Amino acid sequence: MRFASAMTERTTVTPDPAAAAGSGDPGSRMPSRPSRRRRAGRIGQVHPLVALLWLAPALALILGVVLYPAIKLFDASRGEYSITGLRKGDAGWDNYAKVLAHPDLGTVLLNTVVWVVAVVAVTIVIGLALAQFLVKPFPGRRFVRWAVIIPWAASLIITSQLFVLLYDYNYGIINHVLQGLHLISTPIDFLGNDSWTMFSMVVVGVFVSLPFTIFVFIAGLGAIPDDVMEAATVDGASPWQRYWNITLPLMRPALMIATVLNVIYVFNSFPIIYTLNDRNPGYLHDTTITFMYKLAFKSQEKDVGMSAAAGIFNVLLILVVVAIYLKIINWREETSR
Amino acid sequence: MRSMKNSVVVAGLAIAGLALGACGGGTGAGNAGGAGGSTGGEEVKTIKLVAAEYSKDHTKAFWDAFAKAYKEKTGYTLEVQVVSWDNIDQQSSTMIQNNQAPDILNLNAYASYAKDGLLYDSDAVLPASVKSDILDTFVKYGTYDGKFYGFPDLSSARAFFYNKALFKQAGINEPPKTWAELEADAKKITALGGGNVGYALPLGPEESQGEFSMWLFNNGGTWKDGGKWTINSDKNVETLAFLKKLTDAKLTQNNPARTNRADAFDLFKSGKAGMVIGFSPLAADLDKDKKVDYGVAPFPTNDGSESKTFGVTDYLMAFKKPGNEKAVKAFYELYYQPDQVNTFIKAEGFLPVTKSGVEAFAGETKLKVYLDTLPNAQLTPTDDPTWDKVKLAVQQNLGAAMTGDPKAVLDKLQQTAENGG
Repeated sequence: MRFASAMTERTTVTPDPAAAAGSGDPGSRMPSRPSRRRRAGRIGQVHPLVALLWLAPALALILGVVLYPAIKLFDASRGEYSITGLRKGDAGWDNYAKVLAHPDLGTVLLNTVVWVVAVVAVTIVIGLALAQFLVKPFPGRRFVRWAVIIPWAASLIITSQLFVLLYDYNYGIINHVLQGLHLISTPIDFLGNDSWTMFSMVVVGVFVSLPFTIFVFIAGLGAIPDDVMEAATVDGASPWQRYWNITLPLMRPALMIATVLNVIYVFNSFPIIYTLNDRNPGYLHDTTITFMYKLAFKSQEKDVGMSAAAGIFNVLLILVVVAIYLKIINWREETSR
Repeated sequence: MRSMKNSVVVAGLAIAGLALGACGGGTGAGNAGGAGGSTGGEEVKTIKLVAAEYSKDHTKAFWDAFAKAYKEKTGYTLEVQVVSWDNIDQQSSTMIQNNQAPDILNLNAYASYAKDGLLYDSDAVLPASVKSDILDTFVKYGTYDGKFYGFPDLSSARAFFYNKALFKQAGINEPPKTWAELEADAKKITALGGGNVGYALPLGPEESQGEFSMWLFNNGGTWKDGGKWTINSDKNVETLAFLKKLTDAKLTQNNPARTNRADAFDLFKSGKAGMVIGFSPLAADLDKDKKVDYGVAPFPTNDGSESKTFGVTDYLMAFKKPGNEKAVKAFYELYYQPDQVNTFIKAEGFLPVTKSGVEAFAGETKLKVYLDTLPNAQLTPTDDPTWDKVKLAVQQNLGAAMTGDPKAVLDKLQQTAENGG
């Protein structure tokens, strides 16, 4: 009878059948401890099959648009393809070897590093300054903030094409203005001259990365409590000291997020480089992303398999960055507790 | 309520995602030979055409009207997908990877597809009367391994465009006949100053093989002669060296190696370039703008001999798919009717591909300069699948000769060609 009473006790203790059938979490069977945490866990607890039902759409999404293409990509990277796109057979690891042996791989990797580091660093510095300016109240601030969003809202292709026109050697307004001011006597070939091309692309990269960065920083600045600042002012800290010793350290989470997300965006950026660099032959100014595209469709290799192998390398590269990002997120959660 | 709404959205996205995945996957990328035989399977009632967009205004309009006529006359349905030139290589490659080739594809190359055994030849799908009507030059360049696969949809021929106003200003009375005259004229025009450019030379990756073809044909050179690649022949080295000379003497626009054809055309349209190699669509643009007073002449040759022109055709190729043979044949039968093919070509501003077309266009005085040269036009070796890769290598590397050694650049291209691309 003891057994039976225990049973009844149990059923009365945990009236929720889902919870009873669910995990063996001992916390949910201890009704005596009035903990908020325990109660929250109990409400959220459902039968695994029910949970699976609710998770199904998300799982299907991940399987359909992440996992399946990834498997296809890997499959393609191991195939031998004709120039027409027809699969002729299996290539083993040949495509990977060909990518690694590609004579322009070094240039492309160097370009990628220069591109990502330059764009992200310049964006962060300018973004910090502009965010500082945009949190100060001044007439028309709302319109300025709107204006800052515009490069973000415009399609990257359109922005890039606009810059192609601005940079143009013969009719570009930038050359026109510089010549009008007598700063230069002959136009600068911003996109065709090898010493200028990367610089010109970085400018566009910074231009389109700024809005997001600025708004992350505005949010970060808004989260700094006023009393800390007031206390520092009372203690006689100079504006520069306040910025260096209070604002910047408190901005650390925002800086981290802005840096890592920008690195991912900028690394994956295709339209800017593809559009601005389209007149230049070879891979002189390509990053790993445009390199991958050209391998498949534009270059004399025109090899889908090789391009897929390059794609796998790109995924691995970006995975490293994502791992760092996740680590930072963890770090944030720990510090916010 | 809100979370439910979100779930519905997520579920919707998931289904869309799965559907997309399914589209991308199709029947899976099969290995070679997966295209199937021509006889098996049930007869297909609907075929798909992937067409290149020659112009925003006319291409889609024509193919839609054509699909309607096709349905009325034959009972088959034609699905039309118009793709921009920027994307068509990528799209066609993806379709074939996924074993979802269209029934008919409009592209600027065909030999690689024929080599991969994906195409019908003329015996299967082209009525004999049509084959005999197509200009012999185009049959020749459309023939791979003894069979005719590359059915031309339209053609163009290049000609020499010059700015009459700039010529007058520089005191030049008539277009040059030789390269020496061209160089002298370019000098005079460049000397006018004000940003004027003697000769607009596009050797950028867009279409440098086209520009170079025109020059090398007019120096008696070839890409390939009797089965042997001749890319680094003495004639061709001389030709490329001449282009480098023009560049070094600053008789061209800035940085020819990094100038695409479209940019060179823009320069000519703005009235700043004295000479450029153009074709009929450029003339149509110039006539519309009415800004530049221009003349069209045969391209000058190195030694003053008779001018040759560089001709280009694009292709409508037919993919072997089970049961589509009759529908595809009906497509070609209708397309090559004079009122169809010539309407299309006329709307797009290109040149005919058939003998009957040449006669039909004979009245067009503006096209005379091209039509006269068309039957003897020289093409790039589009009948060799290797060319499909060599072309890409030329596009990426030819410009390097402007800052380097022309012979070394051509030697490397020759090697690429001899190694099979």
